[in-house]
Amino acid sequence: MNLRFINWIWHVRGSLALPPGQSGDEAFGRLDSLFREEGTVHQRTGGTLNFSKKNQAAQDKMSIFDRGILRIENSVAGSSLHYCLTSRALLFCFLAPFLFLAIAQLTIFVDKLDKPKLEPAKKSAIVQMNPIDKALGAPEPDPEPTSDAERLLKAEEKKPSPTAAYVFAGIFTLLYVVGRFLEDRLIKALFRKSLMGIA
Amino acid sequence: MDGVLVGKRVIGAQSPVILGWENIPPVQGGPFKRFFFSWFQPTMLFVLVAFWYYAPNSIAKASIALWFGFCFRLLLLCLEWVNPRYESWRLTWKEATTDLFYVGLAYTLLRVADHYLGSDAMADAIGRYFHQDKFAWFTGLPLLVQALLIVVVFDICQYWMHRGMHSWYPLWLPHSVHHYITQLNMNKGAVGNPTELFLIGLGIGGFFDFLPRAFLIAGAFRLATETYQHSNVRFNSPRWWRYLFNTTEHHSLHHSRDFESTRSNYAPSLIVIDRIFGTCVDGEAELLGMEGGRRMSIREQMTHPFVEGWKALRGLAPASVSESAGVGKVS
Repeated sequence: MNLRFINWIWHVRGSLALPPGQSGDEAFGRLDSLFREEGTVHQRTGGTLNFSKKNQAAQDKMSIFDRGILRIENSVAGSSLHYCLTSRALLFCFLAPFLFLAIAQLTIFVDKLDKPKLEPAKKSAIVQMNPIDKALGAPEPDPEPTSDAERLLKAEEKKPSPTAAYVFAGIFTLLYVVGRFLEDRLIKALFRKSLMGIA
Repeated sequence: MDGVLVGKRVIGAQSPVILGWENIPPVQGGPFKRFFFSWFQPTMLFVLVAFWYYAPNSIAKASIALWFGFCFRLLLLCLEWVNPRYESWRLTWKEATTDLFYVGLAYTLLRVADHYLGSDAMADAIGRYFHQDKFAWFTGLPLLVQALLIVVVFDICQYWMHRGMHSWYPLWLPHSVHHYITQLNMNKGAVGNPTELFLIGLGIGGFFDFLPRAFLIAGAFRLATETYQHSNVRFNSPRWWRYLFNTTEHHSLHHSRDFESTRSNYAPSLIVIDRIFGTCVDGEAELLGMEGGRRMSIREQMTHPFVEGWKALRGLAPASVSESAGVGKVS
């Protein structure tokens, strides 16, 4: 299956020019510290660096990526760094809204199966407010619902609603859009600063 | 590392921790910043409790309380950016996404499970056999006393449940996943295996549904004291506050990489319960997690208790809390 039309969802690609006069060896030397994090394995072959990460810590500046390839290309205009990075976190975030939409459907399905049964109405106790609360001005409690319609409404209100699942589907859609652009910019900035020796 | 003798235990022998309030760095900055981060916690406690005490019945509803919780957490997320406790705990996009996935599960799937199988179902079943008349002695108490009693009873139950999780391997298995977090942020409290979140949800909170006002005040009390546990905000908590309530400092020790430190500070709100039972340690830690700070993926977090439990049953893996944490048998 050809995934190249959809793999932008979990791939971050980009390139940036090396500082003038910087060789491929020097560039990889500057980036080296990024690949010496716990759980990171990397291998350099000529002008290409492959890396993979497992169980990367939150403190790892490249923790969002699980593997990737960095390549130095030389041209008449100068050398440049090209990278293609894979992120399971981005893919997960892209799929999360579908999971929450499925949970919303499940909630609706379970709700349809569960018809609230009205227990025989109990003689409601009259809750006496403590004199201290009366003196301090706390509101009087509402009387317990007595009619069947009111009790049914109260029982319905207690049941889980699919709204929360829809809200989270929306949150993850927004998070994906933010993350896809933010992480693209952040990794480019990180590489640039590292190549210039200021990271 | 030598560690420090606290009671009968040596704390900080496996990973660096700070012990004693006098050694914890205070909030740095101008007088306004120091004032703000010294009085924020007590002020919010007073404001939230007062709000729910006086809110009209049309507003005093669980749905509004959920929004309050959401907004309060959002405010603390902003404070994490303004005054972080540790730079290494800074929230990243990946951490925020992972944390929110667990928050999402808690608000959706776990809510359904709680309603049909958990505390809601238990409260319903018990509610059929009891009548409010039986609780007249309780509902006649001043609202603030009712709320405080709810908090105390809830905290004692949660204290022993949490302590049990750190002492008995079958309960440790689902809880251990939560201890793989390597930083504290607002939503880290939700990170864990759903089995554990379901077990924690089996508190007695649901049984107080018949007292909406006192229940809401107790919820506000817990929101204004318990929420800071997993936050990355540096506060100058007043001395009486840190004596009574669980703080980020206490909870960071509980999450540290030092095994003995993790066996302290169990109560969710009232750290004074730990003081009574001799499990309180005052201090803080920056290096958190298990297995030297290995981060667990969501997939592993979902399967870990079952995989390790199965291995333990077959005699292929440690079957005690101390052995699984890589230290000698705990007496």
